[in-house]
Amino acid sequence: MPETEKYTEEELVTLLKQRQQSAFSYLYDNYSGALYNVILAIVPDRDLASDVLQEVFVKIWRQCESYDSSKGRLFTWMMNIARNASIDMLRSKNYQKSQQNRELTETVYQNAGSSVTNIDRIGLRKIVHSLKEDYKVLLELSYFEGFTQDEISKMLNIPLGTVKTRLRSALLQLRELVKN
Amino acid sequence: MDTKAYIESGIIESYVLGLATDEEATELEQFCQQYIDIKHAVEDFQLFIEKQAFENAVAPPSDIRNKLMATLSDEFAKEEDNNKTGAPVISMMEDNTSGAGNIKTKRIGFWKYLAAASVILLVASAALNFYFYSNYQSANTKYQALLTDRNSLQANNDVFRTKLGDFEEAMRIVQNPDMLVVKLGPIPGKENNLATVYWNTKTKDVYIIPTKLAPAPADRQYQLWAIVDGKPVDAGLISDCNGVCKMTNMPRAQKFAVTLEQKGGSPTPHLDQLYVISQDI
Repeated sequence: MPETEKYTEEELVTLLKQRQQSAFSYLYDNYSGALYNVILAIVPDRDLASDVLQEVFVKIWRQCESYDSSKGRLFTWMMNIARNASIDMLRSKNYQKSQQNRELTETVYQNAGSSVTNIDRIGLRKIVHSLKEDYKVLLELSYFEGFTQDEISKMLNIPLGTVKTRLRSALLQLRELVKN
Repeated sequence: MDTKAYIESGIIESYVLGLATDEEATELEQFCQQYIDIKHAVEDFQLFIEKQAFENAVAPPSDIRNKLMATLSDEFAKEEDNNKTGAPVISMMEDNTSGAGNIKTKRIGFWKYLAAASVILLVASAALNFYFYSNYQSANTKYQALLTDRNSLQANNDVFRTKLGDFEEAMRIVQNPDMLVVKLGPIPGKENNLATVYWNTKTKDVYIIPTKLAPAPADRQYQLWAIVDGKPVDAGLISDCNGVCKMTNMPRAQKFAVTLEQKGGSPTPHLDQLYVISQDI
């Protein structure tokens, strides 16, 4: 939560929908760090993550009309934009090139079969990597790489129902880990 | 419904993090409206995630903010215009207080003026184009008319030149001292007819001036005969010649006569069609 809060979330949303530049500046100053954290968890490269952050704020400015406060908090809405933009970046040709053909799914498969954890993951991802292998793979593929449960079911050759329950269990465990 | 079991199933987390399937999300949103517990659970987890993100916030590079604001500067300026009710031009003049935003507004104003000027120029140019095109068309029409006039004058001139040439030729023939002038007089019944033969005594060339011959019908033609040793010899047909007609060269002859024959001439004259005849030369 921003400490020097001048606006309540409701006020901020109202001003944003009135397309006030000052509200947008305030939004950036108060939320960019938290959103950068969300992006960095998915796109570890700081330059690329910065590009994504910019793109995310452009989207927030252009799409703030479509934010519906009855469906959730402003940050949740922005976080989902940030996550989607990060995954789009991962899937872009440029990123694929920058990874020098290191196919991400392959990495995951390799990691899935070994106990080697990925280096230097920050925040949420670091915690995810402390989970047991089954959970880690599911969270990697779903949250960090944006595959749907259906896609994961086919990729891992596991029934969709199993993916669903296992993902939920993984999330619950993650939540407990984060809390403590 | 056992809301507790539902809440503890992990679906809330899955939904908030954007991992739920469409069906799961729709179902959950419906439950949120029905069960306040579920709604609160969703809100709690959203706040939890938000808190986590803020606690682990990473300051982005400082230049990102500037880049972002530069990217959106046009849109901001547009919004500023829209937010100010009334004529945007006036509000732009009043707005001398707000630093960077003001400059951007002015820049937009400049582009507006430039765009307006371009449109005016375009319209003016189109009007001028139309005006010049009309002028061009009318000038072109006049030019074509003049060209036609000039051509017809040229044609007339050619006709006169040819006629003049013919008359000069006739004069030259008539004035030639070697010419023998043979007058062909009318015979009884054809009194109004008259012709003159010019016979060059050196070259023996024969010319005729059909001074006064009744106009020949369309299917007939006058023919000149030379009488040589009492016999008529064809000396050629008199066609539409200007002034002087050059006939067949005749080394010898005692008389000349003209008869009206069928078109193309006859091998021997029809004496009943005799129009003019000369005395013995």
